[in-house]
Amino acid sequence: MNKRKLVSYSKYGYIFAIPFIVAFAIFTLYPIIFTLIIGFTNHEGIVPPKLKLLKDPFENFKYLFKKRGSGKMSYFLLSLITTARLWVINFIPQLTLALLLSAWFTDNRVKVKGQGFFKVVFYLPNIITAATVAIMFRALFGFPVGPINDLLKSLHLIKNPIEFLNKKSYTRAIVEFVQCWQWYGSTMITLIAAVIGINPEIFEAAEIDGANRIQKFFRITLPSVRPIMLFTLVTSMIGGLSMFDIPYLLASGGPDNATQTIALFIYNNAFTQPYKYNRAAAASIALFVIIVILSVCLFYIMRDKDAAKMEKLRKQALKKGRV
Amino acid sequence: MKKIIASVLCFTMCAAMFAGCKSSDDNKSSDAPADTTEAAGGEGDTTVSETETKTVGDGEIVLNVYAMSAEVPGMIEEYFKRNPDVASKYKVEAMVSSNDNQAYETKLNAALAAGGSDAPDLYVAEADYILPYTVGELSTFAAPYDDFIDDVQGKIATADVAKYVQELGTNADGKLVALNYQCTGGAMIYRTDLAEEVLGAKTPEEVEAAIGAGSQSWDKFWEVADKMKEKGYAIVSGADDIWNVIEKASAQPWVTDKKLTIDDNRMSYLDISKKLYEGNYTNKTDSWSEAWYADMKGAGEKQVFCFFGPCWLINYVMANHVVDEATLKGKYNVCTPPVGFWWGGSWLLANKDAIANPDKKEIISKIVEWITLDATQDGLQYAWANGTMNEAGTKDTVSSMAVMKIADGSMDILGGQDPFQIFVNATSYANGNCKCLYDSTINSAFKDQAKAYAAGEKDKDAAVAEFKDKVAEMGIEV
Amino acid sequence: MASNQVAMSSKTRDSIIFKTVIYVVCIILALLSIWPFLNMLINSTRSTGEITSTSISLVPSKYMADNIKKLNKQNMFKPLVGLKNSFIISTCVTILSVYFSCLTAYAIFAYQWKLKKAFFGLVVGVMMLPGTVTMIGFYRACYQFHLTNNKLMLILPAIAAPMTVFFMKQYLEGSVSMEIVESARIDGSGEFHTFNSIVLPIMKPAMATQAIFSFVGSWNNYFLPMILFNKAKNYTMPIMVSLLRMDQYKTEYGCVYIGLSMTALPLIVIYLFLSKYIVSGVALGSVKG
Repeated sequence: MNKRKLVSYSKYGYIFAIPFIVAFAIFTLYPIIFTLIIGFTNHEGIVPPKLKLLKDPFENFKYLFKKRGSGKMSYFLLSLITTARLWVINFIPQLTLALLLSAWFTDNRVKVKGQGFFKVVFYLPNIITAATVAIMFRALFGFPVGPINDLLKSLHLIKNPIEFLNKKSYTRAIVEFVQCWQWYGSTMITLIAAVIGINPEIFEAAEIDGANRIQKFFRITLPSVRPIMLFTLVTSMIGGLSMFDIPYLLASGGPDNATQTIALFIYNNAFTQPYKYNRAAAASIALFVIIVILSVCLFYIMRDKDAAKMEKLRKQALKKGRV
Repeated sequence: MKKIIASVLCFTMCAAMFAGCKSSDDNKSSDAPADTTEAAGGEGDTTVSETETKTVGDGEIVLNVYAMSAEVPGMIEEYFKRNPDVASKYKVEAMVSSNDNQAYETKLNAALAAGGSDAPDLYVAEADYILPYTVGELSTFAAPYDDFIDDVQGKIATADVAKYVQELGTNADGKLVALNYQCTGGAMIYRTDLAEEVLGAKTPEEVEAAIGAGSQSWDKFWEVADKMKEKGYAIVSGADDIWNVIEKASAQPWVTDKKLTIDDNRMSYLDISKKLYEGNYTNKTDSWSEAWYADMKGAGEKQVFCFFGPCWLINYVMANHVVDEATLKGKYNVCTPPVGFWWGGSWLLANKDAIANPDKKEIISKIVEWITLDATQDGLQYAWANGTMNEAGTKDTVSSMAVMKIADGSMDILGGQDPFQIFVNATSYANGNCKCLYDSTINSAFKDQAKAYAAGEKDKDAAVAEFKDKVAEMGIEV
Repeated sequence: MASNQVAMSSKTRDSIIFKTVIYVVCIILALLSIWPFLNMLINSTRSTGEITSTSISLVPSKYMADNIKKLNKQNMFKPLVGLKNSFIISTCVTILSVYFSCLTAYAIFAYQWKLKKAFFGLVVGVMMLPGTVTMIGFYRACYQFHLTNNKLMLILPAIAAPMTVFFMKQYLEGSVSMEIVESARIDGSGEFHTFNSIVLPIMKPAMATQAIFSFVGSWNNYFLPMILFNKAKNYTMPIMVSLLRMDQYKTEYGCVYIGLSMTALPLIVIYLFLSKYIVSGVALGSVKG
């Protein structure tokens, strides 16, 4: 390529990036800085007073981690744990299911018929408004009469109807189920793309070696899609850390804080009495820091080890194939 | 295949839309013949006028109304219907949002604080959260009635407005800034058939004797509850029903001088709800849930003996579900409850900025007076009490005792009984002493813990400790 | 291949069992995905009474028109206003985010500029940022500048959509070669013109994919409209739907389901027509990523 020519065009790089930068500065950067500032101030109450730095600027941040009066961990930490729990328990089955399905759908020996149909249908829950999903599931798990209770009763699995949305464990399980149900299709499609991307020669080589389905899955598919899996993990984790719609609309964060995620913690502090915008802002910043740390860690793991490992594996497999 | 499904769905959708437009057209043409295509399908501004009449919405002066239900906007609409000459000058922009998760409060607060052209001119607050607007942080926005209505005290005297309605509407300087149009003293609404079968009581007086009406104790209530249980009936639908009574029967508010007090009465709710739950005295429903409504029409797991509530509970909630013989129409009666209480009510407030604008002041003055202070037969309250505001004939108790005297409260759902006197008597229990600025949040936190305790998820100490932690989060000393 | 022949018969049996397992699982999952929607559609044709007595049914009833009529009488729920608002916002968001993301991605792809690396780092970094983090500042700023109730506050931020930019950049690298651009330059085409008339058409598949994601995301956005809008005339469909559940004195379940269907159906229809772009589209971005 002609270097001189490119240089002369370089100003267009800046020009074309301007809209993005301007919109980013106004709608993301400014709010972040403003949030950060609020976190250090007295900005609270229905009619917040003029922004004033607190005597102890870190008061709001300290409060987030301070133990409660009863000696239990702070509500912020509790919501952090709740969030992690809701996310992990929905992500593991979600990923497992997605992996399984992607292995089945890409298996060239068993050509699953109606694949297109299944893919489309599995993705369907993802496109529906959370408000709609929440109302549907509230109705499904109604007490004392609701489809699920009716079903369980007619199967003689239970005698008395279960108060699904009044019990902590059930409510959590429902939220986890809904999250999993909404997202496994999307994860599956991403993973299928990754599996298709694997060099078919590797599979052929393994087949010649007499590798069975399970061996192929664990030895080839799984290692090869690890980068994509990690990518999915990161995006899902970020989504999970900001989980709001379903816990809020389905259970309002209850019962008894069972589904209070960080996003809900922030929301409740900022948008219900007594309107602690500053505490909510501090929590947002804390969340930001947590996400940055986790992402950096995950990307570090993803970048160094896997690229090298995968290259090695691929070579090994190819070598084996040739022998 | 996919395309076919998509096409079918698409067709269904279009058909539904079309039907939607058509039926809305039908509505309008039958209600207001002058209405033509323009309003069809509810395009454009969502003014209150759009659903019913066309006259509101032409004017140039925009009146912002904030309310948690369509009730007050409906009244304003009715006012304009009756006064078409003034109606043509105004356009009503109604912001209606329910207060689930305090959504309405949040929006109202933000809009008041922001000011400007979107600021609420006329706004409504319910008993549960009226105080922030009358004595709390937002009281600076509320205009005293004296500033826009002449001779308020004289009119209050003529209408004989219930005392607590005035108390809750008075700001820290002793000026009246809000009034209610309803009277929300509570009573016991019970099933006559179950009363006769289980208690052998044929009249409200006999039921009152059995339940210990006005005794301010729950002893007799439990006796009845046991008898009901023996026969396989539930005494109430769920513990929530009792909470409404206990919250208001309390002598102290949750918070005084930023300090939490748990009134004995409220503390006793923990035990009451546990006993109700574990003893299987109820259908374990939550208020406002599907199951609660089902119990009203006797479609729940067990038949439910009684509900506790003001007149609006009968006509605005129960009547929606109790529609015919099969759903218990005529099988309910009203009597004095064992413990006196009150519940709800919507207060009307006017923004100071709106009053400063002469155009808006004029109409706000007229509307507010018509709704809250007009005790004549042309006033809203007369129509409200007698149920002539809508086709359903929904009757309700109103805040003007003068109107209550001339109103007829006999209702079909109660088999012709006129409960107005019982509700008027119940007003004596209504007072604002049990309310504080933080009720919305504290009440829900307390109920949440009581529920966890009742269901056996945690013990009493843990529940109380958790409740205190929650209150402490709000910056209140516990 | 010949050596495999012997083992074939037992293998076929295995594979039949295996296939059965796959189909059973897939069909169960498909039912799980479809059933709630089917339930929603069927319940929208049933009366509130029918729904409260038995909430699941496979047989549609005849109350659809009734439900729609009741829905229209409600003051709060205005499906057509909601649909209109949702369409305006989602369409604008989609157009802005797709167009400007292509432009931004092209800036990174086609030109060598000093801050390019830093800029791309920024894009990737912002991608990691959930909306929750900026929410408080955004909300308070909107109030300070009296910008609530302004649809633009939901639309304009779409110009900076880092996820889309990232995706577009990946796609550009795989499908556009600089030679085309160079030859356009030789023909005397201006840079902006080249982008619009030559690069954009090549990016159509990627644009379609991202358009669906943007549209669906914006259509389903509940949180921001909820805190920003307090005038009924601005309400989007998800807010309208959440109002349905919260009618003060009663719940007309038939109406609720009709309302839900009205929100979901436009999306389902769009999705079914364009689903190939989603199914194949994710692959476009991720494989090369």
